Amino acid sequence: MTEDAYVISASMIPFGKYRSSSYVGLAVSPLVDALRRAGIQKSDVDAVYVGHSYGGMMTGQRITKEIGLGTVPTVNVDNACSSGATAVHEAATAIAQGLIDVAVVIGVEKLTQFGGGTLPLSPEDREVRQGIVMPAVYAMRATRYLYETDATAEDLALVSVKARRHGALNPYAQFRQEVTVEQVLAARPVADPLTLLMCCPTGDGAAVVVLASARARNRLNAGAAARIAASVLHSGQVEEGFRDMTKPEITYQSARDAYAQAGIEPRDLDMIEFHDAFSIAELVYYEAFGLTEKYTAATLLRDGRTTFGGDVVVNPSGGLLAKGHPVGASGVAQVAEAFWQLTGEAGARQIPGARWAATHVTGGGTAGLDHGACTIHLFEAA
Amino acid sequence: MTATPSFPVADLESDDLLGDFPEGRRLAGTRCGDCGQTMIGTRVVCSSCVGQNVARVALPGTGVLYSYTRLHVGGQGVRALGYVDLDGGVRTLADLREGDAGLWPDARVELGVDGDDWFFTPVIQQGDSHD
Repeated sequence: MTEDAYVISASMIPFGKYRSSSYVGLAVSPLVDALRRAGIQKSDVDAVYVGHSYGGMMTGQRITKEIGLGTVPTVNVDNACSSGATAVHEAATAIAQGLIDVAVVIGVEKLTQFGGGTLPLSPEDREVRQGIVMPAVYAMRATRYLYETDATAEDLALVSVKARRHGALNPYAQFRQEVTVEQVLAARPVADPLTLLMCCPTGDGAAVVVLASARARNRLNAGAAARIAASVLHSGQVEEGFRDMTKPEITYQSARDAYAQAGIEPRDLDMIEFHDAFSIAELVYYEAFGLTEKYTAATLLRDGRTTFGGDVVVNPSGGLLAKGHPVGASGVAQVAEAFWQLTGEAGARQIPGARWAATHVTGGGTAGLDHGACTIHLFEAA
Repeated sequence: MTATPSFPVADLESDDLLGDFPEGRRLAGTRCGDCGQTMIGTRVVCSSCVGQNVARVALPGTGVLYSYTRLHVGGQGVRALGYVDLDGGVRTLADLREGDAGLWPDARVELGVDGDDWFFTPVIQQGDSHD
């Protein structure tokens, strides 16, 4: 980064099922609220970046025209589940390069339009035509992880229990009821060994953050902020041979680059929002982020070192498992959570004295790739 | 240098993995004549060296089950799916038929063909044991 970029405000709707709302209906309220909280006018905005996967043509412009925010560039971004975080990355990069001073980033998705079921994937992909769905990908990762380690289905359930416990504290979460290990294990099977309560829900959502350069932050007299210390976007690298599914290399490499960019180490982090689309993901990402050695993640979880009061709070928002996962919105919602935690606005789930935060989201199931995209951001209270 | 057009690849006409080869009905792969990499499916360019000296080949009908799941969603009842690491170094997604012995990671498996359907099934050998 050549110039510092800051998150100066955030807003989002509670994730849930909003069948009466369009993409515009989902996003317009948090857009207005984010501008108001930043203390800026629409004329202060230099560019708009919009992450979504299923919104159709000109989703961003359909939203911004409702508040008469035009003229400036609006960039629509699709990177599957990483769409929103990719939009943040593009905005942060433009600020870091000195091209713009103030950016609005919108993440939005309406999954209830599909009426239920697993996430629609591109039928042009060979494995999709063979019948692959995202729960099956993660289930096979889980089968192999349980085979290679001493982790058990109870550990997979424990991830969901923790997520729901955190989500119960979060007014933005789709699920706010706690669950037990027994309930998770007894839930309807989706893709063995994953049960329904080990899978993120489908739903709708929108989140908006405002990013500003240092000079814009001073000019606008913005208050507490989160400095973007690292913004990393990687694409998947094809593997024609035998991939180790328990070592998702796109996240290992992205995390390595993010730590280097920010000049910090895993032990410096106070919180991480991981892409826990399925409970196995959280375990392998502990290892990918260097929180623990390979194949030792379950110990970290069992010992309570990744919840409130532990070494690092993983998914204080409840994560995708409890907060919900409206694909294109999730990456921006993670940044909103990091902003609130670092500025002391996280309410009942506030991590006392949080200084460093990480957000991580992958994207896409594509034959031959670990994931299609991976975006990691590191933030420092400022 | 004069500009010359590139042309699209009719990949939708050759997307079936199962094919007829001198070795019998096998899954189709592609081998690069320049760097030797073997890839799943019918391809026109090598994903390693970007060479276009590639040829369609029969992949081995035997391998090892890397991982699997029984999928309960999607409207097809319970469907067993897995990744099979074929002898020779290529991985494929495959339907699985488990028989009485069940499924387990690292099981030896072999290709079965039933009409246009294909699948892998564990090869049970004398003395095999698993959990």
